[in-house]
Amino acid sequence: MDLKQIVKKNKKKIVDQWFKATIETYPANTAKILGKDSNKFDNPVGSTTRETIEDVVDLLCREFTAESLETTIDPIVRIRAVQAFTAAEAVSFVFALKRIGEELFDADRIREFDRLVDSIALAAFNRYSKCKEEIYLLKATESKRRIHRAFERAGLVAELNEEDLLGSKKS
Amino acid sequence: MSDEIKPDELLDKIDYSTGGGSWMDTPVQIRPGMYCYASNPKSVETLGLPNARAWNPLDDDWQLPDNWQEIIHQGLKERLDRFRTFKVFMDICVRCGACADKCHFFLGTGDPKNMPVLRAELLRSVYRNDFTTAAKILSKIPGGKKLSGSRPMTLEVLKEWWYYFFQCTECRRCSVFCPYGIDTAEITIMAREIFNLLGLNIDWIATPVSNCYQTGNHLGIQPHAFKDMLDFFVEDIEEITGVNCAPQYQKKGADILFITPSGDVFADPGTYTCQGYLILFKYLKEKYGLDVTWSTYASEGGNFGFFTSHETMKRLNAKMYAEAKRLGVKWILGGECGHMWRVIHQYMDTMNGPADFLEVPKNPITGTVFENAKSTKMVHITEFTADLIKHGKLELDKSRNANRVMTFHDSCNPSRGMGLLDEPRYVIQNCCDNFFDMPENTIREQTFCCGSGAGLNAGENIELRMAGALPRATALKYVHEKFGVNTLGTICAIDRAALTTLCEYWVPDVEVAGVHELVGNALILPGEKEREEDLRFEPLPDSEEE
Ligand code: SF4
Ligand code: SF4
Repeated sequence: MDLKQIVKKNKKKIVDQWFKATIETYPANTAKILGKDSNKFDNPVGSTTRETIEDVVDLLCREFTAESLETTIDPIVRIRAVQAFTAAEAVSFVFALKRIGEELFDADRIREFDRLVDSIALAAFNRYSKCKEEIYLLKATESKRRIHRAFERAGLVAELNEEDLLGSKKS
Repeated sequence: MSDEIKPDELLDKIDYSTGGGSWMDTPVQIRPGMYCYASNPKSVETLGLPNARAWNPLDDDWQLPDNWQEIIHQGLKERLDRFRTFKVFMDICVRCGACADKCHFFLGTGDPKNMPVLRAELLRSVYRNDFTTAAKILSKIPGGKKLSGSRPMTLEVLKEWWYYFFQCTECRRCSVFCPYGIDTAEITIMAREIFNLLGLNIDWIATPVSNCYQTGNHLGIQPHAFKDMLDFFVEDIEEITGVNCAPQYQKKGADILFITPSGDVFADPGTYTCQGYLILFKYLKEKYGLDVTWSTYASEGGNFGFFTSHETMKRLNAKMYAEAKRLGVKWILGGECGHMWRVIHQYMDTMNGPADFLEVPKNPITGTVFENAKSTKMVHITEFTADLIKHGKLELDKSRNANRVMTFHDSCNPSRGMGLLDEPRYVIQNCCDNFFDMPENTIREQTFCCGSGAGLNAGENIELRMAGALPRATALKYVHEKFGVNTLGTICAIDRAALTTLCEYWVPDVEVAGVHELVGNALILPGEKEREEDLRFEPLPDSEEE
């Protein structure tokens, strides 16, 4: 069996363990609530974390690119980027996979699997910096956009070009 | 559900994970991105509030008055005597945990101190220590303090209060789920009053309040600029519709005084909602002779005094009635705002009323008497417009909003604060064919806050705001993906600003629009030219196809 097949065969186990490890990065009482199988909208962090982990593991069983990996892992990283985590803590949940892998793969396969985990970690880190960038940009421009733009349209102020200010967002 | 969490786990053993330990032993860490800057001492001075000075929440020394502990104790005592709800809320919580996972800030940040029960406990622990006999007796035996859940007031505790009571948007969602109706928002309101006694205000509240007190609106915009903005809207509307919708100002003897939050006049996308009001009033004037006046004096419907203290709220609110009296109107019509309505609905009448000089609001066009506003004399514009639509008094062309696939965000205050649930939906559905509600546990009385209310819509606390916005965003993303929703309707000025940022981070393909923006687009003005663009100068759906 190749690596993808082993992942596919053990999908449920991997998802469950990875999910558990991820929510355990939160304070214990929070983790208990996040881990509950409640309505998606009553538990957005828990449900998004689980769904994203499922999607990533699904992706691992197929052909994927660095980009598709990054988009797939986005929802979970987007949440962690605004929570009380340092950059390292925010993406650390990916490395829990290495521990999970140790039980599933023999010595030959484990290096291959670890390399896979490394690529997930890099994707997560890329996404994390993009999210942070978005946050800083929103912080820098939102009040100007809200109020300044209205004034500008009315011709009451003119010194600032909003389009220039926002240009970097679109790239 | 949350009843799986036992009371002792909830409080005494709230575990801060990796390190472990109870919540009381976990000192507060004031983290940038999560708190708002301290207020400008000038604003504090203008308002005559105590201890005006420049200070920084990250500093060790908060430059408090020497007797700060005494001030807090006295402040608590006065409020326990004055507000029965506060006293009751301090005593009756049974720590059942039903509220624990109902706060958007807890759900978004994952910080246990944002569980409503624990947020209240931050203050309740000091209340027990200072005001209950049980705690006094227990404090004499070893381990007794822990047993009674009490602790003395220290600087650490004060910092913890400040950090977490400014992580509550006073949205009251938790109270919907509490079997005893404990409203943590009211506890936050008391805590913030006490902060004001010590000069621990935040600038995003204190400066708007000071502006409003001096100039009449939160942004401190003077009357001529207020008029300039409306003039500019009138020009835009004329370009789009060919009709001049110029409003009247300070007109004595008008039928109705219209007051809206200044955000509608000065901030996008509220400005389009404002144009919707102008179009509606022009229509009603032409068709039915309704005489509506604006006022550059009562140029703010919002009331950030509500986030400061009862007295400050009262001061700012008074100008609405004063202006209505001066102009001799029959009653007041209020625009699309959030907390403005909580103040009107729950406080204005007893605070600055009764407004005997006004009439019980009656829609002269339909004959409807707004019984719900019998004593405040102030009607919400979506009730008014819904009434007009219901009686067939408005000619609406829905096709002009056909590019919009709508959902509706119930703002906390109009929904939970005054029960305004169906009217905005009714107006939207009469202006647009495509409407899909978000899941039921996220709307109406159970609506999730935008995460930026109660004076927390600043830039520096954006991480807190985005985390708090997650529950709302999750529901929005769902209807966006399932039904192709592309527009989030709302009837609150803070929301129009806050939700726009929320969407940009969480659901970038969704735009935010006020309900009366849709009305403005759909309403067929007498004598209008064929419209080609909507109020945002985007091509109308029909003309796009050609
Ligand atoms: S505030 Fe109400 S719901 Fe929350 S723990 Fe106390 S009694 Fe239960
Ligand atoms: S009032 Fe709203 S923000 Fe405050 S604790 Fe309750 S749910 Fe949270």
